[in-house]
Amino acid sequence: MDNFAIDADHVSFAYPNGFMALEDVVFRVSSGEFVAMLASNGSGKTTLIKILVGLLKPQTGTVKIGGRTLSDYSDAQLYQRVGLVFQNPNDQLVSATVAEDVAFGPRNLGLTAEEVRCRIDEALHCVGADHLRERAIHHLSFGEQKRVAIAGTLAMKPSILILDEPTAGLDPAGEHEMMRLLGDLNHQQGITVILATHSVDLLPLFAHRIYLLNRGRVLKQGPAHEVFCDQELLRRSSLRLPYVSRLLDELNRFDGIPMNGLPLTIGEARLQLLELIPQELIVPPLLEAKA
Amino acid sequence: MSLISELFSDIFAQQDNWLTRLDPRTKLVVALVTLLCLMFSRNPVFPLFIVVLAVTSALAVKVPVRLVVLRLSAPLGVAFIVLVLQSVMTGSTPIANLQLLGHKITVTQEGWHSGRLIASRVLGSVSVLLLLGMVTPAHRLFHASRWLGMPKAWLEIAFLMYRYIFVLLDLVADMMVAQRVRLGYSSVRKAWTSAGIVGGTVIVRSMDQAVRTHEAMLLRGYRGEIPFETVPALARRQWWTMGVAGAVVLIAFGLTQVRLG
Repeated sequence: MDNFAIDADHVSFAYPNGFMALEDVVFRVSSGEFVAMLASNGSGKTTLIKILVGLLKPQTGTVKIGGRTLSDYSDAQLYQRVGLVFQNPNDQLVSATVAEDVAFGPRNLGLTAEEVRCRIDEALHCVGADHLRERAIHHLSFGEQKRVAIAGTLAMKPSILILDEPTAGLDPAGEHEMMRLLGDLNHQQGITVILATHSVDLLPLFAHRIYLLNRGRVLKQGPAHEVFCDQELLRRSSLRLPYVSRLLDELNRFDGIPMNGLPLTIGEARLQLLELIPQELIVPPLLEAKA
Repeated sequence: MSLISELFSDIFAQQDNWLTRLDPRTKLVVALVTLLCLMFSRNPVFPLFIVVLAVTSALAVKVPVRLVVLRLSAPLGVAFIVLVLQSVMTGSTPIANLQLLGHKITVTQEGWHSGRLIASRVLGSVSVLLLLGMVTPAHRLFHASRWLGMPKAWLEIAFLMYRYIFVLLDLVADMMVAQRVRLGYSSVRKAWTSAGIVGGTVIVRSMDQAVRTHEAMLLRGYRGEIPFETVPALARRQWWTMGVAGAVVLIAFGLTQVRLG
């Protein structure tokens, strides 16, 4: 049973000061999935990510990528399969200009100048940053730096893309754009996307499955509806429902408005509300405009 | 833009003008020739000619006067101190006596000449480097240095320093603002303490940054050597430009040495 893109099996990790960052974590992701690790700060997301890409070695448990343990891969092989985008783009953007930074990985792979150029073009195009090509990194906005950091990782052509808090520090529009970009990479290019986040509002729209982590343990995993239905668990993990779900949940609990399940997205909430409103009160937008 | 940011900003090097369009290798070679001439100049005429030329060129490509003055202010201070120290501490032929706080200070002819020459060389050299920096992005200069045979390890360090100096400057600016709004600079003593904290924190953060950056580089295949792109051959036109500009500098140098040396 080794058709997982990533299979972390009963992984535990403690830092030298004794802090147990991960305890018996099982984390499995199939190829082509979009999976979110949802956890509050200090829950072990970043540690797990570092273990998944081989930067840290677990004290117990094994990590397999594509059915092979990490030690079976050379670094070059491993990092062409799995790419990591850091939370702070400054950690990752090491060159002076965008094109040079995106070229960093492909050049390390020993590709020819022509191939390197193709990869720069493709990667920048993927993230919608073609126009930034010759710009100096330190003249980019934070959102642009995030895009370029993703492009630099995509230029390695990984089949698995892991992102640590990709929406952190972005404005609401930037947050949505980033998630849409990741959704496109997942749908259109078949890249397995794993992201660590504690931002809950957009996850139900994009993530196929969510892993809920708290204090180094996986509390629950499954589709968004399964994970978000246990509000007590969310509270214990210092997380919350998406705002739209919370509104409808409160309408249900405090005002007795009947709900058929808990909507997690604006689309789902809209459909539920439309069901509750009498048909004669609904004015089609077209008629409204004419009036 | 803060003072620190203005000092380090390379925004003018990113603009499009005849100086920024020149190949960085051409500019670097001409700059090196000029620096050599400055080093061997026997009178201040050539260095001062270079100062005027460099400042005029910077202004001609629309670098603001304020920025030029700001960037020249530190070397001007150094040049002044050199001039004063040389004038009063070397030589034996007195040309003037001054009284300062009850002490008699003698300005000597040899010291004055030597101070003038060294100060002008300092200003000339710094002007050349400032102009070069204001019309060429640093990373392009590094690539040009590679063409001239600079060791790869030095270049890697230079590239990373250039990249992260802006990150650290942002950090310093944020920390100083955070201290200022909590009265960290309300007295000289507090300012010293606050600045010391900033300095220490920057060192610690730099080390953290280095670890994270190294990890990120490893994940993109870094194995101890940054792979640079191949440097293309220098165009014939650039060779000509380099030759003509170099010759002009050498002729100006020769003329000033012959006439006044």
